[in-house]
Parts: sequence; C-alpha cells; structure tokens
Amino acid sequence: MKHWRTIQLIAARVGERLLVLVIIATILFFMFRLMPGNPLVAYISPTFTAEQQEALMKAFGLDKPLSVQYFIYMANLARGNLGDSFFYKKPVAQLMGELLPNTLMLTVIPLLLAYAFGIVAGTVLAWRRGSKLEGAGIIYTLISRSAPEFWVGMILLTLFAFKLKWFPASGASSPGVIYSSFLHQVTSADFWRHLILPALTMAFYLQGLPLLLMRSNMLDVLEEDFVTMARMKGVSEWTVVLRHAARNALLPVVTAMALGIGYTIGGDVVVETIFSWPGLGRMLVRAVANRDYPLAQGAFFVLAALMVFMNLVADVMYYVLDPRVGRTKEATT
Amino acid sequence: MLKSHKKLTRREFLATAAIVGSSIALASCGATPTATPAPTATKAAAPAPTATKAAAPAPTATKAAAAAPTTAPAAAGDAKARVIRKLILVGQDQGSDAKEFEMGKFTADAVKQLGIDVELQAMPWEQLSDLVWYQRDKWDFTMWQMVGRAERSDPDELLYNLFHSSTVKDGYNFIGYIKPEYDKLAEAQRAETDPAKRVELVKQCQAMLNEDQPYVNYCHQMMDYVYNNTVWEPSTILDQAGIGAKNFWTFISAKPKGDQKDMVLVSGPVVTAINPLYISGGTDSWVTELIWDRLMRIGTDGLAKPWAAEKVQWADPKTVDITLRQGMKWHDGKPVTIDDVIFSFQAPMGDEAPMYKPFVSRIDSITKTGDNTCRFVLKTAYVPFETASLAKINLIPKHIWEPVLKDLSTKPENAEKYQEKVPIGSGPFKFVAWKQSEEVTLEANTEHFNAPKMRRWVLRFVANPEAVLGMMHSGELNFISFYAGDPALLLSEVQKDPKLSVVSTIELGSRFLAMNERRPPFDDVWFRKALSMCIDKQAIVQGIYKGRAVVSNSIISPSMKAWYNDKLPPIPVDVKAARQLLKDHGYDWDSSGKLMYPAGKTETLAK
Repeated sequence: MKHWRTIQLIAARVGERLLVLVIIATILFFMFRLMPGNPLVAYISPTFTAEQQEALMKAFGLDKPLSVQYFIYMANLARGNLGDSFFYKKPVAQLMGELLPNTLMLTVIPLLLAYAFGIVAGTVLAWRRGSKLEGAGIIYTLISRSAPEFWVGMILLTLFAFKLKWFPASGASSPGVIYSSFLHQVTSADFWRHLILPALTMAFYLQGLPLLLMRSNMLDVLEEDFVTMARMKGVSEWTVVLRHAARNALLPVVTAMALGIGYTIGGDVVVETIFSWPGLGRMLVRAVANRDYPLAQGAFFVLAALMVFMNLVADVMYYVLDPRVGRTKEATT
Repeated sequence: MLKSHKKLTRREFLATAAIVGSSIALASCGATPTATPAPTATKAAAPAPTATKAAAPAPTATKAAAAAPTTAPAAAGDAKARVIRKLILVGQDQGSDAKEFEMGKFTADAVKQLGIDVELQAMPWEQLSDLVWYQRDKWDFTMWQMVGRAERSDPDELLYNLFHSSTVKDGYNFIGYIKPEYDKLAEAQRAETDPAKRVELVKQCQAMLNEDQPYVNYCHQMMDYVYNNTVWEPSTILDQAGIGAKNFWTFISAKPKGDQKDMVLVSGPVVTAINPLYISGGTDSWVTELIWDRLMRIGTDGLAKPWAAEKVQWADPKTVDITLRQGMKWHDGKPVTIDDVIFSFQAPMGDEAPMYKPFVSRIDSITKTGDNTCRFVLKTAYVPFETASLAKINLIPKHIWEPVLKDLSTKPENAEKYQEKVPIGSGPFKFVAWKQSEEVTLEANTEHFNAPKMRRWVLRFVANPEAVLGMMHSGELNFISFYAGDPALLLSEVQKDPKLSVVSTIELGSRFLAMNERRPPFDDVWFRKALSMCIDKQAIVQGIYKGRAVVSNSIISPSMKAWYNDKLPPIPVDVKAARQLLKDHGYDWDSSGKLMYPAGKTETLAK
C-alpha cells in the first residue's frame, strides 16, 4: 500500500512535467515566429528572385498557416525529430550531439569542484562559528557570488594565459590537435589544460551556493538534540561534526547539485564566450542571433527538457532520501 | 534577451509612428487658419452689426484677393501642399551596427539643414533588409553598404547590377535609378573585350553616377590584418587589392621562417558548411576556396587570371575557350579531367545548388572540344564572366558528385544539405578535420602545381575579441584574419610588440546613403545633389571611423586602381551653396523655413 502510494506520487510528478514540456514547446514555437521580420531575410541573399524566395518558403514549410506549422512541429517533436538547422543544413540533434560532450565537461567538472570545496568550507565555517575565519569566509563567499563571471574570466585569462602563459586562452584543444574519440580527448593533458581556466571561473561562482547552504544546514543540525546527545556521550568533536552533523546537513546540498546540473547544462554563455569554449551556449546565442529557428527551438527545448528532468530527479531524491517529505504528502492528501 | 530587444524596437516603432501621426495632424491644424483667411474675412464682413471691427481685416483680405484674384488662395493652398513631408531615414540600430547607426544620426542632422524634417528609424538588420529589399516603395532613404567580396573585383557587379534599370523590380537596383543613357554605358562595358576600352567605359559610368548622385558615397573602411613576423616571412604576406592580406595568395605563398610551420588564424563567425555547392556565411568561403580549385583566380591586382585553366581565350564577347592545366589530381589521387570541369559548371544549372545557379545562368552551352579543352558559349556578350563565373565556380570531381546529385534529384533536399565526410577537391590545401565551433584544419597539398609553403592551415573560432590580441602576443595565434574589436587598439598593440606587423588596405566594399527614386523628392537630381553637399564625409571618417576609412566618391573602391576613376570632380561640403542650388531649381522655403517643392509639384506621400 505504501509502495503504491509512492508510485502514484511519482507518476503524478511525471505527468506534470510532461505537460510543462508541451507548454514550453508551444511557447518556443510562437516566440520565434512572432519576432518581427521575415526569417528568410537573414537566411537568403537579397539576390534571390521572388520565385526563388517562394520556393524556399515552400521548402521550409513557411508558406503554410501558422497553425499548420505548429501541428507539424509538435508531431515531429513527439517523434523525436527536432528538424534541420537553416544555416548548417544538418539535423539539430546531430549539431547538439557534437557539442554536448564539451558542455557536459564544462558543467560537471566545475560543479564537482564547487560542491566539493563548498561542502568542506561550509562545514568548517559552521563548526568555527563566530571566529575570524568565519567572518573572512563569509566575505569571500559574498565576493565570489557577486563578482561577474566575465570579469573573473578576463582576470584569469590575463593573468594565467597572457602574463604567465601557463594555460591557453581559447578552445578545447591546441590548434590542429586531432583526437580519434571523445575518450581520447578527455584523457589528454591538452584538453585539461584548456578546461582548467573556464572551469575555475565557473566553479568560483558556483561554490557560493553549496557553501552557504552547507553552513546554514550545519548550524541548524548542530543545534539538534541528537548532536547535543552525542556531545554529552563524549564523542570526539571530529566525529560529531563529520559523522553526525555533516551527513545530515548534506542532503539538501546534494539535491541542489542535481538542480545545478540542470541549470548549468545549457552551457554558460558568458564563460564559453570568454574562453571560446566550443559548447552549446555559444551555439544557442548564434542560433538566436541568426534566427536559425529550428536550431534555437530545438536546442532550447532539449535544454528545458533536461532541466525539467533534473528537477524531477531532485524531487524523487528528496522523496526517497528524506522520509519526512513522503509523510507530509500523505498527511495532506 | 534578443526577443525583448526586438519587442522593444517594435514598441518604439509604434510609439514613433504615433508621434509622427500626431505631429502631422498638429501641423495641418496650425496651417488651416492661415491658409484660408479670405473666406472668413468676407464672411465676417457680411453681417452688419459688428462690421466696424470686422471691417478692418476685410479690406486687406480683399486687397490680396484683388492683387491676384484667383491665384492667391490657390497659391496659399498650393504652398502648403508643396511643403516636403518629414523624410524617414532608415538604418541599422546600435546593436546591429554601431557605425551605421552613428552615420544615420549624423546624416539626419545634416539633411535637416536644408529645411526638411528628418527622422532616423533604426532597426535590426533583418527588419531593415526586409523593408528596403522587399517593400521597395515604402521607404525614403537608407544607410546601406556593399561588402567587399572577391567577385566584386570586377566593376560590373557594382556598376551594372546596382544601377541598371533591368534590376529595379527585384534585383540589386533597389533605389529604382532609371536612366537609359546609363543603361547603354553599363551594357557596353560588359560587352567590351578590349581591356583598355572597357576601362574607359567603366570610368564613364562612374562619372555619370557622380553627376546623378543616386547614392551619396560615404567611405571605404580600412582593413587591418596582423601577422607574426617572427613566424612568417614578411615579403610572402601579400596584399590583395580591396581584399587585404587575408587572401588566397597569402595562404599559398606565406613562408615559415622557423619551426612553426602551421598558420593559426582566427575568425569570430564559425564555419557552418564545407561544401563546394553551398556557402552559408563569409567564413565558409575561406575554406572552400582553398580546398577546391577554380579555372581562374582573382589576382592580387583584382583582375582574374588563369589558374586551373592553362589558357582562357575569348573567341568573341560571347565565346570563351578553355584549356585545362595538365597533371592536376583530386585529393583522392584521381586525375582532374575536362569532363570534371564541364560537370562542375553543369551541376549548379539544375535545382540542386541554388546558391551557385546565378553564376552559371549566362551559359548557353559548354562543349568538349578536345582532350583537355572546352568551349563556353554565353547567352549574351558578357566579359565579366571571368570574374563572375570562371573564378567563382568550384571544380568538383564528377566521380563523387554525379552519384550524389543523382540520388538527391529524387529527394526533397538539395546538394546544400550534403556534407562530405572528407571533402575532396583538387586545391592547394587538403581537408584534415573540422571541429564544430572550434576549428578547421587543412594541410598543404604538396602535389599541387602551386603548393603552399606552410604545413597546415588552422582556422580557430574565437568568440572573445579582447582575447585575440592576447593570443597574438602569446603566440597562440600567428595571423589575425578577423578582428571585431576597436581598430585603434589593434594598431597600438601592434606598435607595442615588435613581433607583430600590420597590413592595411582600403576595402572593396563601401558605405553609402541610398535614396529611393520611386519617392519624391529623391527623384530629382538637383535635390539629391543638394543633399549630397550637406554631408561632411571627412567628419564621418574622423569622428565615426577614427580615421580608419577613406572618403569615397564612387561605388568603385580606389583600391581597384585599374577601374577607379580618379578624375571625378569632388562634391563640395557647402550647405549655403546647396540651398542656393535648390533655389536655382525652383525650390523655396515657407515662412517657417520648411523646404517646398518647385511650383507645380506637390507632396503626395504625406500621411
């Protein structure tokens, strides 16, 4: 009976998310169509005659009424067909697929760095509550949260790429270096040398959330009875902080990270631009600027879907990891 | 982000439209009482009781009526109708092209000096080109530009297409300039096979345009390309007229000085296709022109010269004989034959390569005349064929593309969608790799008849213009082939670093003000001339381009030494003289200083 209830709740969540996706696809479709100007103007050369233009409109299906275009789009989407880019003349899925590994690396590595550091630092700051270390730590965190990424990126670039020449300034590999596979690429030193500056720039910004979250959770948990109980039992401070308090405080941080992946997966446009990282963010900007409807729509949709999915994962994780969530649900229904 | 920006401009547009509407309404309200003083006066004079007061103005009214019994009220009404409406200058907004926007503001202010209301309506490029190109009778004048492309090295592309009456409807003559004498000159130059005579005709075309001022030519920008002189032998970095140091000839002749044998170049815009039958953006063509050979190439002097063709000979202005160079090979080892050449020109004739179709549309027939010769017969006499087609069409291997095109002919998509895994051409560079959004790598084809001196050609896509300079200092790049930042900064950085050298060239392209002759007052040559005299081009070059441009007086760039007419009489910057010129040709100003058409011409386009 309890199991059935869980499945029901999760199914309801999945249903909700599907509806969200349909709404997103609809908004995306109309958003791009309603921008002023003919989409073909950006695409075709003005030398084209009226007949050539009409032929092109037809080829892209732009001669059909908007409602018909909408249903064709939704039907294709349901079949997993995101369409072809106007400019690249290639399937959107393929174009995104080519850049996804780079973007994943620039998402996961900074998140891991940021959360690893944030969790440790947050724990230490909570534990050393009221000390000078905590004061300095809070100021540092606030700076990292409010420093614009482009500024941090340019500073790192100037310092480490141009002055010290330790790291390269652009791309994901050195000029002319060719890898046989993605695995080959991510295991090469060259790739990591290119990844380090953009990853640090992002991690610097991302660390604030886990740090503050961990700190405040820790402060709450350290006040709890079971911690006082442990201290009274004479358990060492080390064990109290790590085994009793930190483990409990970690839970929301982990779910925040799941959400973080969802938010960051779209590629960080600013960081990708500063370091010319070949990722999805830059492609998206170009697609919007060039009015590459299929590419922009497809890419936005996939990113939104990923975000919605990670949200779902976070929800489910909460439900599974924290029994209290399930109980409140049951109590309200 | 972009969306909200567009929305804003649309809202702005509506707001300005409302303002325009209401100001016109106000103007006409204000005009009504002054325009019809006589009837009110006579009416007022009729009733006796208040006659003493009303009688005073009545005599003046009747006096005026007596002096010119019928014309006076008509003239007054006519004067109102003769006032030139508020002219709308359209151009790109600040976000699309800051310089174009600044020039638009400058121009609007300059034209106001003639006594005309001018409003600048700035919009994104897509919206602007949609309006100017596809709604040809809906705009007054526009800030416009022609970008420098190698095929524009032949003056025909600019002189014929932009100003010949045959392209008024939906071609390049978007301003609607129609002049039979000009048509004759433009036609004559494209049929003249004697180069010296053709130059003369081309110069006459420019002189006529200078007289008629269909465009006010503003300037040609300077293009600066920077290279590392410790990596590349300076004498082997060549400057192509109107194109600059980033050109085909530099890429095949650049000689490495030391161990760095790879040229690492940069572009902001990425490559989107490597296809001999499709180009989606400017950067694509950097790559295609190196992988695929062409029968002719535009030389550093801007003139077409034989390349894959050993000989190009005109039998008459409609017939050209080609002899193919011997011993050429495709990158897959197969020989290049005359059949490949013929196939390359036939391939775009169908519907599989719409982008290249216009370049073969003049060909009537191609016949094989020997083992390595063929003859092109054109539909009409067309000497620019060398630049426009022979130096433009990529030679493609028949054994690869014939089956591909056959297969595509049964499908809805065309050759533009076809991407070879490893593109095969016969050009001086071979394809190595393409990493989307990151780089394209080519390597020297050592078997080519003009093999490059460098080992590899690596084009990096760098999104951050500020980083380009740093990367040049640090050696990550050794050739700046694209720079979107401030040119003054670029030049000062070059001066600071002795490793760097700059090559500056006047571009082939130009910036200008185009006036729509479908809409008065722009249909009158005297008005256009007067307007032209208000534009201080030198101030634009100094103020907006920081001196990195040259004043222009022809659509042909001075860098095209063979074609440019350097004897054109300059147009003086003189507002007083401009107003006098208008006065001499019947224009006048109303009491509030608004410019009016000459007598007999009224404003029909005011809303």
